[in-house]
Amino acid sequence: MAAYEPVLLRNRGVEGSTSLKVYESRGGYQSFKKAIKMTPDELIEEVKAANLRGRGGAGFPCGVKWSFLPKDRKRTLLCVNADESEPPTFCNRVLMEHDPHQLIEGTIIAGYATQAQIAYIYLRVEFHEQFHILQKAVDEAYAAGYLGKDIGNGYKLDIYLHRGAGAYVCGEETGLIESIEGKRGEPRIKPPFPAIEGLFRMPTVVNNVETLSNLPHIIERGAAWFTGIGPGHSSGPKLFCVSGPVKKPGCYEGPMDITVRELIDRDDFGGGMVSGKKVKAVFPGGVSMGVLTADELGMKMDFDDPRNYGLLGLGTAAAVVVDESVEMRMVLRNLARFYGTESCGQCTQCREGTGWMHKIATRIAEGAGRLEDLDILLETARNMGMMPGLSICGLPDGATYPIETIVKKFRSELEESIASQPQGRSDLVLSVLN
Amino acid sequence: MAKIIIDNEAFECRDGISVLQAALDVGKQVPHYCYHPGLSVVASCRLCLMEMKMPHPKTREMGWAPKLMPSCQTPVRDGMEVRFNTEKVEDNQKNCMEFFLLNHPLDCPVCDQAGECHLQDYSFEHGRSESRMVDQKTKNPKKDIGPDTLLYSDRCVLCTRCVRFTEEITGTSELGLVNRGSRAEIDVFPGVPLDNPLQGNVVDLCPVGCLLDKNFLFKRRVWELEGADSICPGCATGCAIRVDHADEKVYRLKPRFNPGVNDWWMCDEGRFGYEYVHDAKRVTTPVVRRGKDPHTPVWHEVAEICRFRLTEHVREHGAASVVAVLSPFMSCEEAWLLARFVREVAPESALVMGPVPIEGEPQRFPTGVGEADAKFTILSEKCPNRRGIEMILEAAGGEVLSFETFVERAGAGDFSGAWIAGGYPKPWVEKNVGKLAAKFSLLVVQDLFENELTTAAAVVLPARAWVEREGCFVNAGGKVQPFNRAIRSAGGGWHDGQYLHAVAGFDGLYNVGRVRELMAATMPAFENVQSAPLKPAHAH
Repeated sequence: MAAYEPVLLRNRGVEGSTSLKVYESRGGYQSFKKAIKMTPDELIEEVKAANLRGRGGAGFPCGVKWSFLPKDRKRTLLCVNADESEPPTFCNRVLMEHDPHQLIEGTIIAGYATQAQIAYIYLRVEFHEQFHILQKAVDEAYAAGYLGKDIGNGYKLDIYLHRGAGAYVCGEETGLIESIEGKRGEPRIKPPFPAIEGLFRMPTVVNNVETLSNLPHIIERGAAWFTGIGPGHSSGPKLFCVSGPVKKPGCYEGPMDITVRELIDRDDFGGGMVSGKKVKAVFPGGVSMGVLTADELGMKMDFDDPRNYGLLGLGTAAAVVVDESVEMRMVLRNLARFYGTESCGQCTQCREGTGWMHKIATRIAEGAGRLEDLDILLETARNMGMMPGLSICGLPDGATYPIETIVKKFRSELEESIASQPQGRSDLVLSVLN
Repeated sequence: MAKIIIDNEAFECRDGISVLQAALDVGKQVPHYCYHPGLSVVASCRLCLMEMKMPHPKTREMGWAPKLMPSCQTPVRDGMEVRFNTEKVEDNQKNCMEFFLLNHPLDCPVCDQAGECHLQDYSFEHGRSESRMVDQKTKNPKKDIGPDTLLYSDRCVLCTRCVRFTEEITGTSELGLVNRGSRAEIDVFPGVPLDNPLQGNVVDLCPVGCLLDKNFLFKRRVWELEGADSICPGCATGCAIRVDHADEKVYRLKPRFNPGVNDWWMCDEGRFGYEYVHDAKRVTTPVVRRGKDPHTPVWHEVAEICRFRLTEHVREHGAASVVAVLSPFMSCEEAWLLARFVREVAPESALVMGPVPIEGEPQRFPTGVGEADAKFTILSEKCPNRRGIEMILEAAGGEVLSFETFVERAGAGDFSGAWIAGGYPKPWVEKNVGKLAAKFSLLVVQDLFENELTTAAAVVLPARAWVEREGCFVNAGGKVQPFNRAIRSAGGGWHDGQYLHAVAGFDGLYNVGRVRELMAATMPAFENVQSAPLKPAHAH
């Protein structure tokens, strides 16, 4: 097997990779020059042909998303989702830290394809350093005439960086839109979808950082090259994160035909577990997609295979490994706490359900669990989420999958820990019903 | 009209409404919190979810969609089919009710909302009888958010109706959401209390006991209250209201849906403006003075005394010496009876439109909008029935004077016999008016409180507050609106309509319907007067 040649991360490690000069010297902004001579429709067709699926988590085809924009629109806005908040995920961060101009070039291409006049890059507030790197790159791009008035073919584009205020839910595209508008980050009811009525009530496209970073390469090398990488429905280069007790935690790039085991063990990825540690569980797609047991590491890191393992999807393709020394009830509590505090509080099931799951998980972790708590957790998980139509956004689906899969796949361990918990912790139970 | 099928039954419904509203319109009991027809749709309480038939994404064949849909957010379309009576829908309602109560303090015994609480109602209908949560409840704080309102956020269901009201109806945006998840709560900005002139409506909008009216706090259990449909007399807008009372005491006023007039709302000035009703200083008994000794006649003598004294006066001084001032606080029926009586006894008498109190400028909401875009208007004309009195005066014909002309001519000694109806909640007898008392050898005054006129009058008749009377007012827009009696007259005895009915020479009990029929013979506007709304437009 020939070694994979990185595409998105090709400039990582190159001296001065964040500067315009180095980016240009490595072929940067050539795709932009090519794209600006094409028509927007040609560009959209090219991206559709490449079957570039959104890298933000849902995997929706990018070109199709663009084509939802009304034909007779007067203005279009582009939002770049850099609110990378999914636990163990840091691919966007790496892209912005090492190659900000790649993102800017992708943003310009997407902007031109959708005829957007303004693009907002929405950064999570914790991205301080990345914000400054990106702002410097944007300034450079303005100075070089890649941004601003008439950057070619009569097209103009302004990029603004917008920083969030620390809410997970602002990574949801309409939550992000509300937040840019200066409102409380709460996802909007759909329809209308952002393509029809989004930011400031104008047709809006929201794309992820990694998705846009792919665009210069699709334009440069063509859709056929792109679809040639990885399996059929999951084509193109993909960034994977791996963290936990592996030898080389980090962000790696590859085609979407590798397995979770390869991601952990291969020398060009995680490099195996640190000595003495054994895999107990893996959350392969960011925690929201759910958990795999050590027996399920054959799962392919593509858009389709995770479903076969009871997971929500590929998600952010950021795997966090849990080793045998960690108790699952502690993992359960940690995750339940995250969703309990990150639910925006709009929809009843999510607001109350995540809070309740957090309380139950805390009690189990503290040694005051009851066996029936596990069933209540499963039932609560079933009673929330966008997929059964019970909520406005997908946050509760992401909240329930990890809880549900942990309880289902590690039930015997949880039951054992409940059964063997020391007596006397029932003080945490306020009113004992049984 | 769209034809839609709800639970296997075909209905016709108004175009452009939501499926939820259509279902409520035909009497379906669909639980909901966040939806309110007067506010924007947020679809966040997730209680009104329904099943809907949709084309299959591949085969295009119509079938029940696997997802539940929010019925508040789904507009009706001709031919659509939805259902609420399925296990899936009911399961969701049951689960929602469990979620709503997880952190709710269940303090119904000390909660003002108990008895009219939709947490109670929906829990009873859809919830489970006991909680499965054994953990400590998340307790959000109780807050004082304004001069008239408390916010017990531990009882809140986060429907955000109140937030949307301050954003969309008043345009003042005092309320907002803070924090996330089950810690989310409604709050005001620091140092900016909820004190807009319509803020009392947030208490009505609150489907649970979270927003509380300080004026009603711990006063009475709501199931002890009786409601009387009424009209607010605070200004010429004429909001439809309900007077909640018990034991002959008014406890609170609530708006009633009245499309085009007040919709679902009322202002605080009207809402809290009934205190004078229970003022101990009110005139409660009739007083007759002949010579120096005042005495209190029994009620059935009153009419005879008035009739006798005025007839006697006309015989001595002539009919043209008589003047009657009709108050814009009188009902149309009362004004008509008084005008009829005065013109019968003294055909050449003058009729006067009483002073119309004007305070400031009309206040339109949302703040800053023009007349055309106003969703609610508080008028500067602070009386309920100027238009109605004008109609009566116009129909009566003969000599009709403005109040200014009356004051001038009475001051010049043109009149020696006067019947002056007051009934203004605020002091209204200016110095120049008070001085007129000396000019009349016969003065009959109807009023709420003692003033320079009542102390000098030969006959004082207690005017009753509008909650003690019945009749109709005509609002600024010309709408004839009936109001019912809520409580008995202060101190007992007859109310204005009753004694004027007798004074005008009618036998038997006072019956507004019958009086209105007589009026309608010359004034068709009083034919078939209906109370709004004919059908409740919204469950709560």
